[in-house]
Amino acid sequence: MNRYSRRQVLRFGGVGVAGVVLAACGKQAKVPESENVVSVGPAPSKVTLPNVEVNDVVLLRTAASLEFNAIDTYDAALGLGVFTGAFAAAGDIAKRLRDDHKGHAEAINGLITKLGGTPFTCGNPRITEVYIAPALELITATDNENPALDVVVLAHALENLAAQTYQGVVTMLSDKSLRQAAIGIGQDEARHAVVLAQALNPGLGGILPSVNPDTGKANVAAVPSAFGPLTPINVTVGPVQADGSRVSLILETPSLNSLAYDSVSCS
Amino acid sequence: MMNPSATTPPSTADVALLAFGNGAELAARDLYAVAAGLSAFSDEEQAVLVGFHDHHRAAAQALAGLVGSDAPNVREDAVYNAFRSRLEGTDKSAIYDALRELENTLVATHTTLVGTLDGTAGSALIASVITTQARHAAVLALVAGRALNDALVNSATALTPGAN
Repeated sequence: MNRYSRRQVLRFGGVGVAGVVLAACGKQAKVPESENVVSVGPAPSKVTLPNVEVNDVVLLRTAASLEFNAIDTYDAALGLGVFTGAFAAAGDIAKRLRDDHKGHAEAINGLITKLGGTPFTCGNPRITEVYIAPALELITATDNENPALDVVVLAHALENLAAQTYQGVVTMLSDKSLRQAAIGIGQDEARHAVVLAQALNPGLGGILPSVNPDTGKANVAAVPSAFGPLTPINVTVGPVQADGSRVSLILETPSLNSLAYDSVSCS
Repeated sequence: MMNPSATTPPSTADVALLAFGNGAELAARDLYAVAAGLSAFSDEEQAVLVGFHDHHRAAAQALAGLVGSDAPNVREDAVYNAFRSRLEGTDKSAIYDALRELENTLVATHTTLVGTLDGTAGSALIASVITTQARHAAVLALVAGRALNDALVNSATALTPGAN
């Protein structure tokens, strides 16, 4: 008869327990395999995401989509009928800037066609959904006291967003001539932003960064820094709420979930 | 925000181009120093000119940092001499126009550089300088009381590195 020490019994016992646990975790004989974790109720069908690639065409299609976002926003602003009286001149500026964006969109789509891609001829769906539609809803709220001013605030933010986007894609585009074309348009957008910044905070005091002494917040500046920033853009628009505040939206340049991939269409 | 992409360092050819940019920015810095010292401008106007002077100095320093020990850190005299004579007198609008032409020339030059540079570290830096200097140009058109088109359009010709 074999004799085991107390230590050997404990050791073998431990190995046995571990074996049982591992067996329970592994495949079971005669048990059908399932791709789903066992759950109560019907399991959702598996959705396969398309394989996408961030290439020059996708980046240019995204840039084109932002141009159409801007065109649509200026058209919406002009359609509000708010550019009257003291804001009449702003209406003329809005038309000029919108037309510039039409030219940019045409130029970008021309580059896309040369590269064998499909031009993008509508606003970026994601940008529209998360930024522009909510902003326009706030601006057109019946209790908003100054929709004309808010429209200029939104347009200024979109121009900065466009300038940042073109600046940002310079390092992502593989073709040097496309980088040059992109920043050539980006500098146009920066000029647009200056014109609108001066409409919001006119004169010499609105050129360089400054702080509102009453609120402690940064004023709108035509030239906000020594280098073009790539930072989120804060937009405060809409009616004053019960607590005295107004809604702020944070705009960021298009990301992987908002690029105009080949699978994204305007239809 | 887009995912940051890895940048590539300047190539040997890039170093010469970025060094030219360094010298051109120092020329702009010195031209703004001249303009800001003119008695024609008020304190508030001088503050703006000094601000733009500082932006050009920052651009020159950033370019020098990228180029390293090969950075000339000396102003490009051809650029300085092309504009210096226009920064005199009491006609503020004329001086603003000269500075706007300087800014537009730098924007055109830098834009050409972006289409030439191999390394994206240089392209990224130059791109961030371009958007700021385009803003300078637009501001200068507005403070000079020029038409909207003058603020929005750049018809300047790019400088050619090594041409002078």
